[in-house]
Amino acid sequence: MKVKLFWLVCCLAIFPVGVYAQNTITGQVTDADNQPLPGTNILVEGTNRYAVSDFDGNFTIEASPGEVLQVTYVGFKDRLITVGDDTSITIVLQEDTSELDEVVVVGYGTQKKADLTGSISSIEAEDIVKQPALTATQAIQGKVPGINIINSDQPGATPTVIIRGLGTALSGRDPLYIVDGMPVDNIKSISPSDILKVDVLKDASSASIYGLRAANGVIIVTTKQGKKGKAKFSFDSFYGAKSILNPVEMANANQYIDYFNEGAAAIGGYSLQEDQLHNTDWYNELAQVGSINNNTFAVSGGGEHVDYYFSYNHYEEEGVLKDHKYRRGTIKNNNTYRLFDDKLKLTQNLNISFTNENPKPLGAFNNAYRQSPLVPVRYENGRWGQSFVNQTTGIVTYEAGPGESIGRLYSHGNPMADVFFQNEKIHTTTLQGGFTGEFSISEDLKATSRFGATKYYFDKRVFNPMRERWIAGDPTRTYEEFDESRKNATNEETGIIPTSWAYNSLSLEDIETFRWNWDGFLTFDRLFGKHHVNLVLGGSKEKTNVGRRLYGQGYEVPEKEQYWSIQHVSGFFDNVTENVYYTPRTLMSYFARAQYNFDNKYYITATIRRDGSSVFKAGENFWENFPSFGLGWTLSNEDFLKDSKHINFLKIRGGWGRLGNQNVPLNIDQIQTSTGSANQNYVLGPNQELMFGASVASPVKDLTWEIVEEWGVGLDLELLDSRLSGSVDYYDKTTKNMILLVQPLLNSQFAENFYDHGAEVSNKGMEFALEWRDNISEDWSYSIGGNFSYNKNMVENVKPAYDGMTGGSLNNGRITKRLEEGQPLGAWWMYEVEGVWQTQDEVDNNASIEGAAPGHLRYKDQNEDGVIDDRDKKFFGSYIPKYNYGIRLGLNYKNIDFSVDGFGVGGNKVYNGLKNTRTDNENITADTYNTRWTGEGSTNIHPGADRDIEASDYYLESGAFFRINNITVGYTLPDFSKYVSKLRFYFTAQNPFMFTDYSGFTPEIIGGDGGNPYRTAGVELSAYPNTKTFIFGINLEL
Amino acid sequence: MEQLTLKKIYIFLFSTFLFYGCSEDFLDVDSREKIEAGDSEEVFEPDDFVTSTYGMLTDWDYAFSWLGVTEIISDNADKGSTPTSTGTDKHFLDGLTHTSTTPSIAAMWERWYKSIGRASYAIEYAEEYGLTDEDYKNRLIGEAKFLRALNYFWLVRMFGDVSLQHTDLLTRAPEEEVYDFIEQDLLDAIATLPNKSEYASGDLGRATKGAAQALLAKVYLYKKQWEDALNYAGMVMTSGEYSLEPNYEDIWRVYSENGVESIFEVQARGEQIAHGVNQYSQTQAPRGTGGWGWGFNVPSEDLLNAFNEEGDTIRRDATIIFRGETLWDGREVSGSVENPMYNEKAYSSANLGDADGDKNVRILRLAEVLLIHAEAANELGDSNTALTSLNQVRARVKLPEVTTTDQGQLRELIWKERRLELAFEHDRWFDLIRTGQAGEVMRAHGKPFEDGKHELFPVPNDQINQTPEMTQNPGW
Repeated sequence: MKVKLFWLVCCLAIFPVGVYAQNTITGQVTDADNQPLPGTNILVEGTNRYAVSDFDGNFTIEASPGEVLQVTYVGFKDRLITVGDDTSITIVLQEDTSELDEVVVVGYGTQKKADLTGSISSIEAEDIVKQPALTATQAIQGKVPGINIINSDQPGATPTVIIRGLGTALSGRDPLYIVDGMPVDNIKSISPSDILKVDVLKDASSASIYGLRAANGVIIVTTKQGKKGKAKFSFDSFYGAKSILNPVEMANANQYIDYFNEGAAAIGGYSLQEDQLHNTDWYNELAQVGSINNNTFAVSGGGEHVDYYFSYNHYEEEGVLKDHKYRRGTIKNNNTYRLFDDKLKLTQNLNISFTNENPKPLGAFNNAYRQSPLVPVRYENGRWGQSFVNQTTGIVTYEAGPGESIGRLYSHGNPMADVFFQNEKIHTTTLQGGFTGEFSISEDLKATSRFGATKYYFDKRVFNPMRERWIAGDPTRTYEEFDESRKNATNEETGIIPTSWAYNSLSLEDIETFRWNWDGFLTFDRLFGKHHVNLVLGGSKEKTNVGRRLYGQGYEVPEKEQYWSIQHVSGFFDNVTENVYYTPRTLMSYFARAQYNFDNKYYITATIRRDGSSVFKAGENFWENFPSFGLGWTLSNEDFLKDSKHINFLKIRGGWGRLGNQNVPLNIDQIQTSTGSANQNYVLGPNQELMFGASVASPVKDLTWEIVEEWGVGLDLELLDSRLSGSVDYYDKTTKNMILLVQPLLNSQFAENFYDHGAEVSNKGMEFALEWRDNISEDWSYSIGGNFSYNKNMVENVKPAYDGMTGGSLNNGRITKRLEEGQPLGAWWMYEVEGVWQTQDEVDNNASIEGAAPGHLRYKDQNEDGVIDDRDKKFFGSYIPKYNYGIRLGLNYKNIDFSVDGFGVGGNKVYNGLKNTRTDNENITADTYNTRWTGEGSTNIHPGADRDIEASDYYLESGAFFRINNITVGYTLPDFSKYVSKLRFYFTAQNPFMFTDYSGFTPEIIGGDGGNPYRTAGVELSAYPNTKTFIFGINLEL
Repeated sequence: MEQLTLKKIYIFLFSTFLFYGCSEDFLDVDSREKIEAGDSEEVFEPDDFVTSTYGMLTDWDYAFSWLGVTEIISDNADKGSTPTSTGTDKHFLDGLTHTSTTPSIAAMWERWYKSIGRASYAIEYAEEYGLTDEDYKNRLIGEAKFLRALNYFWLVRMFGDVSLQHTDLLTRAPEEEVYDFIEQDLLDAIATLPNKSEYASGDLGRATKGAAQALLAKVYLYKKQWEDALNYAGMVMTSGEYSLEPNYEDIWRVYSENGVESIFEVQARGEQIAHGVNQYSQTQAPRGTGGWGWGFNVPSEDLLNAFNEEGDTIRRDATIIFRGETLWDGREVSGSVENPMYNEKAYSSANLGDADGDKNVRILRLAEVLLIHAEAANELGDSNTALTSLNQVRARVKLPEVTTTDQGQLRELIWKERRLELAFEHDRWFDLIRTGQAGEVMRAHGKPFEDGKHELFPVPNDQINQTPEMTQNPGW
């Protein structure tokens, strides 16, 4: 109630604005090129008199001689002009190139970069569009210290973003995205070309204003607005070709035959003949040159009361898998209305995006790796190739003479057929928009009210030609056979046909979600002499996850696509429909922030946020408080440095904050019952009547926020006429109560895994950024910059018996990861290889795993108990890079611009699951072939053709890489027409080179479940390969 | 005019702030995906948790893993089935080459601890639920305590020192403490449980005072507390609740389920939902052409010889299905089934190999109590009492009376009687260990029994991985 009362007082308070008669001064504000600057603020110092320049830069203001006009315009240096006798003046403003005057969005407000006490990084529009990508996050990679972005080059994929280390395993790991003040699920629906800038709130002292969802950092996106002035048209277009960056050479037919026969000799079995029918390069067949095409049209401008920005973007990408397409159309419209003498500013944002996707099975990459080169994509008769082998003749074929036997090399099907038959379409529509009203109650006090909403539609259709797939599975199968089998399987009484014998199946999935949020806050900003005070007080409400999912599956629709709907499915099958209405989530918050600085020297910021989330209904523990504070000291504004020639800016800052993560997994049922024949029920009495029982499966654990606390210190500086700028940050961040999936002890009462808060995760790190920019002459300018971040991640204080959560499954019963105190999150855990068994004698006389044989890898008996088991597994660090770095180089000569961006990571390991999980007679890489063990003494490092599939550090490789992300050369045509203000052509090579020792396709592996550290993050199994893209583009402005 | 519009704006702003409100109602969102506890019809009664504790006895583990660690491992039984069907690890147990990673051992370890957990929860729930009928409440608690004691007993005789779940999961409590806990649970159960005849008819099959007394007598037998064993066995014998089934083979028929000799057995109905011990009959039924099961846990040649040497045809024929024989119910066992002999005590006439078997598994019956009585009396030097009890058991199967009063000889004879009477009732291995015969017998049987090691099973590796400070048994 107190809060309400405060609002009331604030709202009713009316601050009178006095106006006194003076001389009327008229003037014009322009930039250095004589272009008028509309919207400039002109204030008579020490008074309330102010004016704003109009469309042509003109203004009028009352001032008497001797008074000082303070002229300010964003992006330009402030000017102070003493009024003389002239009543007509022209004011020329110089552009401000110092980054420190840049305005940074801090959440419910903005701040000058120089005034920050927290750690916030910003990326400007030009840097975002330079790296052609679907989402802006991809473009951030390598540009900001402290942010690790793991990219995927799969069309339509979203990269994983880890800000200042990974602090959670099972809860939401994504940062909070705020677009124009409104929280959104992701920024996939926003065209990078519409983005003005991205600000990343990295530390807790800045992010805690977003409280319960800020634990993974906050990414604030500001989209473009119109600027007062004439209409500006722009057209940007590029086209590029994509191919696999780091292809892996597989064994050819002869190598495969050798390897096969060596394996067969070791374990006994038929061998292959030297003369075979085919030599297929499966990756060559599977991969194609993909393409990327992007066109943006935008118009923007502004009049006295309205600014407008409108754009349309079309993005189209075809991946390196055949027919894997992703298309997106985006319409953006941002308008600003200034009413009542600019007292009321209304901003309307609208973003509409449509996507259209034809996914193809990524498992094809995994599958192609395993295909024997002796198997053709198709046989001569046009039937799909399969791994049939004539075991009598040793020829890989499905054809057999009398008495000859046919078998299969391995169970995998034909990946080209998988790609061919996959018929899937996904459409999404995202309507995202909002409305912001800013009302200046007085000069110092502003009220803001903002409403935002997102409506999302998703529909997916999968058509599966089951009969065709069945036929493709074996070149000898016929349609008649299919029908015969189908007839035999049909239930004679009911006529119901088992679904596995349907001709085709059709599934449709339809999801609709809605979310809205509302913020209201007051901003008070005033300079009392040298004391600058800024206060924000407000509240917000949000409701998400409103929506439903509808799923239907049926069988045997007519073959023509026009009839593919549930309406036309056959009644002879058990069809499926599912429907769920999601439980909405609501959030409610109060927040306040106070900022104070004295004379731009001493800064103090404090925030408090109180958040409630409906997620914690079970424990009725809705609320939590998230405080923070920050301190800063700008030494360069002190007298002793003020006149320094070398030090232009020097500031030290530090802060502490507390953040939360409400996107946590929850325990569902504690009490178990069963209506089936499980061990819950019993029979009693002479007739053995059924009694239903109940038992406790997992403990009652009401989960709550994951809480993160972080402190950090930093330093910003600019030296040598601001040509050298840089910053250093240190942070120490701890997730206090990470949620684990606890496997109950065998001897405990609980039977089911359950979630509980059970460990701390610490992330400590350093960040450095340095940039040098200089103009050598009027024609020559250049810049060179780099950043480096180091992060140490460690699981600490695990509750007794709560460690041991395993993960990183290779889908063959082997796991690669385990949680343990003192290790990083997602730490690798497996056998350590100490050589290769050379002789059977060695196997017999040493500790060995069951089935060990000469040529197999030899695992170290760590505890020397003579047995190789789980206790001999060892930790080997994490897939998460310990450090990453970016470099950039920019060069401008007259109208030519040139830039290079590079990005690298190190200190991590990735697992070559493709190499490891090879079984039976699957293919190998040429390298595996060349280095293999071929008999006693041949090698003590690499296994032979007969080997096991245990997970071991043999397959764990350095994940370090350095990649040139971007090389761009552009040429801007000199003024050639008064109608064209800019015309630039450019050529970009995206990811042209990568330096890595990793033997697979890509060391950048997001893994399942969006980077869950206990899934396949860092394990290459079905990962999409890195691609390189060569792009030609054009920018046109009218 | 402008003032008026400004006022409108103020009013608008003010009303949007009102919209904000302080109420927690906004956060109290109705669940749509999951039915909230209050809206579900389910109310759990204390009896539900006792039921699930009984229900645990019907788990699949008792149909397979249990066979391995109680019978296949002993001289009474072989793995059975086809030579290549290992039954996961039954070949290891049969050959005494099992290790701490043998799955059957971990399965029983875990199963018993989960059962103990259910029993403890049932006790806690019954105590706190607010039942007004004290007798009913105490009876439910008594039933759960009996079941808890039974599970602890199975654990302790297999592993020695084991953790007491209510105290410390990370380390093992000394065997003695575990036995003390079992003893206390059983004494409590004896104090509160009704006699078999005092139960309502619909409660037939629940744990009784007699069951608790019989189990306690057995516990004392293992602890060699002969007087206590004699006492408690005597209480059961003189309770008037039990008598021997006149025909030995009738004990395993459907019509004598919970019959006069039965003290405690696992209830099974043989229909979907509430099966008996899941697949217990199926895993042990004849395998191969003309068979209807998996054929595991088959009588050994050694056991057959033991019956024959004693001239014990009644118990032999009730215990063993022979290849090619016609069973009591007229079923012909094909001459081409895989193994020469199968376990007849697991045979279900009605359900054949169905997963949902109707076989009540007999856990405690009067004949065993008589043998406990005999053994305890003999150890106390009272051979006359011992002979009386022993000969009751022999008389039923038409074997001549034993007359020796030599303590040593009589001891051997009682042990032999236990073997023949209780074959395939999951006790043989532990009798061998308890009586110190295991090493000699198993080595003679051709199995690599190591003294000082094989008396106890290894603590499962999975457990030690979870709780590394837990000690392993000697030799493992």
